[in-house]
Amino acid sequence: MNAATSTTPDADLLRAMRNGAADAFAALYRRHQGPLYRFALLRCGSSATAADVVQEAFMGLLTERFRFDPLRGQLAPFLFGVARNLILKLEEDRRHVALPAFEAAEDGRSDGDDPEPDQPLDNHGPLARLLDNEAAEQVRRALAQLAPHYRDVVILYEMHELSYAEIADICQVDIGTVRSRLSRGRAALAKRLAGWQVAPALAQA
Amino acid sequence: MDTRDPIDPLFDALRGEMAKLDAPRGVEKELLQAFARQYPQKQAWYRRLALRRWLLAGGLSTAVTAVTVFSLLLLNPRLGADPDARGRALLSRDGNGGLFIALESPERIEQEPAPRMIETEVSRSSLAPLGIPLTPENAGDTVRAEMLLGADGQPLAVRLTSID
Repeated sequence: MNAATSTTPDADLLRAMRNGAADAFAALYRRHQGPLYRFALLRCGSSATAADVVQEAFMGLLTERFRFDPLRGQLAPFLFGVARNLILKLEEDRRHVALPAFEAAEDGRSDGDDPEPDQPLDNHGPLARLLDNEAAEQVRRALAQLAPHYRDVVILYEMHELSYAEIADICQVDIGTVRSRLSRGRAALAKRLAGWQVAPALAQA
Repeated sequence: MDTRDPIDPLFDALRGEMAKLDAPRGVEKELLQAFARQYPQKQAWYRRLALRRWLLAGGLSTAVTAVTVFSLLLLNPRLGADPDARGRALLSRDGNGGLFIALESPERIEQEPAPRMIETEVSRSSLAPLGIPLTPENAGDTVRAEMLLGADGQPLAVRLTSID
């Protein structure tokens, strides 16, 4: 990213991109790919899936399958919303091919009030180690154990420092729901990580 | 007193670790290739337009230069026939139908301290290098002329009083 494009507002880069400027598109990608990839990685637990989500989100921006209107907000929250919807769709597709026993387990917590489901939707990625730092890896695994709608809120608030209003817009819920999910999600994480905090060696065992 | 939640330091660790991660480079490559496919016509259109502009500008420039050169030659055929005459002769019609030909620069003529005028007749053929039309019929004619000479006898200008 050169000096000019690194300071150019997203809206101007988008306009240039839609006029065929490849460097504007590259600048937009380099500015937003990191946070988007990290959100998707924490959300679904698979680096390959996260890369696919990032690619599809930007592809949609390019083809205007996902039409961003600068008058309605910032690009970053918009992209988070796109990524979240793509992940939800992937999860929905996986649910359709899941075993009946797993579907029954999903149905059992359909009220959405339990932040700690018996089994995460992505039951392969989260269990694979992704981070070198032990504490970070413990938090990531604990996050992966949260129910997806709690995970969304906690990741967007704690990792990306978005406001309640932005998170509410991304998750298509009201601000009160964001507050309660954040509170319950953090409480579930604290409970899951409590043992690790007081005795890291025991937690790793 | 630390008012932070006990899990905040753990989030700090996760943020620090996650900050090292970016999407694989292959994603950007794929997207840029997709972009090139998405906007091939627009890029080609801009390039073609630029090329056309350059061609148009070059063609116009060449045409203007050619017109200018031809105009100068038409106005003063002597420039084309004898390039050396351009430096040594300035030609103009006087009010009496005569033709004034400066053989030196105006500055040189003005600075001459003691110019003198003599009347003479010169052969028309000797005036041909100065741009005077010469045909087989008038090649043997003479033309009345008033010669402006410098103090050293150097011709400065000539005024032809009996020429068409």
